Amino acid sequence: MGMKIGAPKETAPGEARVALTPESAGRLQKLGYDCLVESGAGAAAAFTDDAYRAAGVTVVDTADDVWSGADIISMVRPPSLEQVEAAPEGKTLITHIYPGQNEELLGKLNEKKLTVMAMDMVPRISRAQKMDALSSMANIAGYRAVIEAGNNFGRFFTGQVTAAGKVPPAKVLVVGAGVAGLAAIGTSTSLGAITYAFDVRPEVAEQIESMGAEFVYLDFEEEQTDGAETGGYAKPSSPEFRDKQLAKFRELAPEIDIVITTALIPGRDAPKLWTKDMVAAMKNGSVIVDLAAERGGNCDLTVKDERIVTDNGVVIIGYTDFASRMATQSSNLYSTNIRHLMDDLTPEKDGQPNVNMEDDVIRSATVCHQGEITFPPPPPKINAIAKQAPKEKKVEETPEQKAAREAAELKKSLDQTGQMLAIGGVVLLLIGSVAPVSFMQDLIVFVLACFVGFYVIWGVAHSLHTPLMAITNAVSSIIIVGALLQIGSPDETVGYLAAASILVAAVNIFGGFLVTRRMLAMFQKS
Amino acid sequence: MSIGLITAAYVVAAILFILALGGLSNQEKAKRAIWYGITGMTLAIIATLNTPGLGDPSMVIFLLAVGGIAGAYIAKQVEMTQMPELVAGFHSLVGLAAVFIGFNADIEMTRALTAVDAGTAKELTGFAASIAKKTGVELSILKVELLLGIFIGAVTFTGSIVAYGKLAGKISSNALTLPYRHQLNLAGIGLCLLFGYQYIETGDPANLIYVAIISGAIGWHLIMAIGGADMPVVVSMLNSYSGWAAAAIGFTLGNPLLIVVGALVGASGAILSYIMCKGMNRSFVSVILGGWGGEQSSAQEVEGEQIAIDTDGVASALNDADSVVIVPGYGMAVAQAQAAVSELTRKLRAKGKSVRFAIHPVAGRLPGHMNVLLAEAKVPYDIVLEMEEINEDFPQTDVSIIIGANDIVNPAAQDDPGSPIAGMPVLEVWKSRQVFILKRGKGRGYSGIENPLFFKENSRMYYGDAKGSIEALLPNVA
Repeated sequence: MGMKIGAPKETAPGEARVALTPESAGRLQKLGYDCLVESGAGAAAAFTDDAYRAAGVTVVDTADDVWSGADIISMVRPPSLEQVEAAPEGKTLITHIYPGQNEELLGKLNEKKLTVMAMDMVPRISRAQKMDALSSMANIAGYRAVIEAGNNFGRFFTGQVTAAGKVPPAKVLVVGAGVAGLAAIGTSTSLGAITYAFDVRPEVAEQIESMGAEFVYLDFEEEQTDGAETGGYAKPSSPEFRDKQLAKFRELAPEIDIVITTALIPGRDAPKLWTKDMVAAMKNGSVIVDLAAERGGNCDLTVKDERIVTDNGVVIIGYTDFASRMATQSSNLYSTNIRHLMDDLTPEKDGQPNVNMEDDVIRSATVCHQGEITFPPPPPKINAIAKQAPKEKKVEETPEQKAAREAAELKKSLDQTGQMLAIGGVVLLLIGSVAPVSFMQDLIVFVLACFVGFYVIWGVAHSLHTPLMAITNAVSSIIIVGALLQIGSPDETVGYLAAASILVAAVNIFGGFLVTRRMLAMFQKS
Repeated sequence: MSIGLITAAYVVAAILFILALGGLSNQEKAKRAIWYGITGMTLAIIATLNTPGLGDPSMVIFLLAVGGIAGAYIAKQVEMTQMPELVAGFHSLVGLAAVFIGFNADIEMTRALTAVDAGTAKELTGFAASIAKKTGVELSILKVELLLGIFIGAVTFTGSIVAYGKLAGKISSNALTLPYRHQLNLAGIGLCLLFGYQYIETGDPANLIYVAIISGAIGWHLIMAIGGADMPVVVSMLNSYSGWAAAAIGFTLGNPLLIVVGALVGASGAILSYIMCKGMNRSFVSVILGGWGGEQSSAQEVEGEQIAIDTDGVASALNDADSVVIVPGYGMAVAQAQAAVSELTRKLRAKGKSVRFAIHPVAGRLPGHMNVLLAEAKVPYDIVLEMEEINEDFPQTDVSIIIGANDIVNPAAQDDPGSPIAGMPVLEVWKSRQVFILKRGKGRGYSGIENPLFFKENSRMYYGDAKGSIEALLPNVA
């Protein structure tokens, strides 16, 4: 009998997501679990109770029923202290915890002897990507940020020339090219905006450019740290670097229509990157979307959870619930993240979670276990990202250099041909000086035939190489001619050997030609 | 027929053979080219049978009929996946014939010389008669040619049998590495030279038999030492040898048709070997001297995880894709998945998606093997492209599907200078948006080299038997 996984309705105001969807329930059942859900839990994310029932999920009336009926409770937001107070002991809880900021909650959870898996503590290694809820939510937030910006922006993203006049394309600057930043870049470029992006980690320039945006380079000499050392996250930059960066932003501010900031450093307040004077320099009607609002915002003027309009008409959006604003999508991804975690927790597929503290990923995510607080986890054994090899600069060769190189290559190949001809000629002369005429005649035929062969075979299509081998197989049985000339000999041994040769060569001739024909007949044009 | 007429027939036959090989430059011409080859062969045999003094042809016709029926039967029965072993097997026959004809030439030579001594040379006919006219130097050259014919023929014979056995799975395809294997080969060649020299000096046919046996052993050992992944090179090399054997016999018999055709075939095989070696970025010598292995240490460790995906995931990605590239490898042939692949292609193309195939020069166990398999499964040849034609298109490709291929899509060849296959040209599938790899299990490929492609972020492993996996996809793709 498998354990039960339950999802209560989220209680935080405005939270529309749900930690269990009908689809993920189906997958969890394959792992041997039974699922239950509080009635109406999925309503805000467009999952009806009936849809849950259709997927074989038991729908219960209250959150208490979930807490008492399920062995494993999956949620989106951290539970409130009251919820924990009311929770029965010994259950397993899977949700966002933010244990670094929520010590009191962590203590409470531990008092209740809950096993707690924090989705926000899943390490950022490739094996754990499938359960990395922070990334999947950030991806949605990045997309939604652009959509919100468009909603508040009075113009098209893409440039157009219409009968009613020319429309310039919008210019978008994305600051911070993490998961959210890259998602924003992708959305923005596909809407047709001219997109610029900045990040303190130079190694992401390639990713930015691959998404179709332009990387804003700083003219800065400092040896910039490799993201590999910090688990792929940014780390604080030096004051000089920051000055350069702000100067660059100041220069860009008057031109940019939409700014999307996503800069976060783990465990710190968001760095202030878009200052008051930059906002003041922006055009009326411009939009700033601050995805770092939760942690104080990248922009000086951001107000958390609010949309404000400055005196000069710049809209600043400080929402923190972007993912919740797309509840269906984010519930789908989040519940899939949880399902993947359960996958790893249930290697036997028997509906019994196995909290294996030897496993790097599970160890990191588990913050409370068997009455002990297991946060913070030891550093992971493997690096998140392979160390970046320093990029070599490719030197574009000028047309003259190219011409010179090609000329040199041609000369080299001609020289080689010349050398080979000279050597071949000498060898032939040497042979000719000793060999009798009859041999030389044969040799001439042989050499010429080799040349003809080389020229003819180079022209053969690669796709016909197998038929070529089969036909050369048949053709090489021309050796039968030798046997035919010998079979008439009065010597018996000669007769037998020649007969055997004719026999095997005949197999080869017929077999080779017929199989070639069979193959060639198969090649059909569409 | 007069000698002049026969020679004329030989010239025509030689031209027809050249046209037959040249006609393989494209698929449509090729269908006619095969008839040039058949006509040429018929002409050559009829002309030879009409050589004055050859005697009754009924025995020959009987032998041709028996051999022909056997050959036709084999050609009809063989599966296209078995082409590599068939070709290898046929090569051995040419090698065997060359050895026999070489021995015959020696016997005839002895007979002719005895007759000359006895003063009855005028009664000789055919080959023996021509030997009787030869001078001392010409006789020595004849012996050298004869030795060469037997040497190459015997190497081809045993080598091809081993290749056949390895390709047909009758012997292990692992490289056999005897201690001192290079020295063994060298010793063998030295012995051949020694016995050959004695033969030229004394004319004792026993030496000829020793040469045949030793060269047969060399052929066996040479091919035993080559691993399965290098088989395309081996087969084309043996193809080349069978040509050179025919040419050597042509020299022995003084027959220009044999020389011309032997040279054509020899050149053809040599070029194929060259193309294969280039496809693997290895030198011909290193392939011939034996399999790789033991050079793993310097290769980079691969970090990350192979992420599996199920049928639904692959199907929905295919349904969303506009352009699909399929990369088949030997695994497709092993799993007999080509018909299912063709059906998948047809379905996707019916949806208006672009589906193409990318063929690496060394995919499969024979040059062009994949093309033949796909053609058999009725995949139109104009969507089957070579590596150079398609490599630039991967960044614009939505989905790449790798079916039973490994080394030919290994990014380590470009990224990791320590990899044993560093520098080998590969299909850059990882540049496409998504890569699905059909594989039986997590193991390494034929060559035992770790493939970082499987660990890339846009790669998903679709485990299972290739045929079953694709057939499971079919109902879900719509």
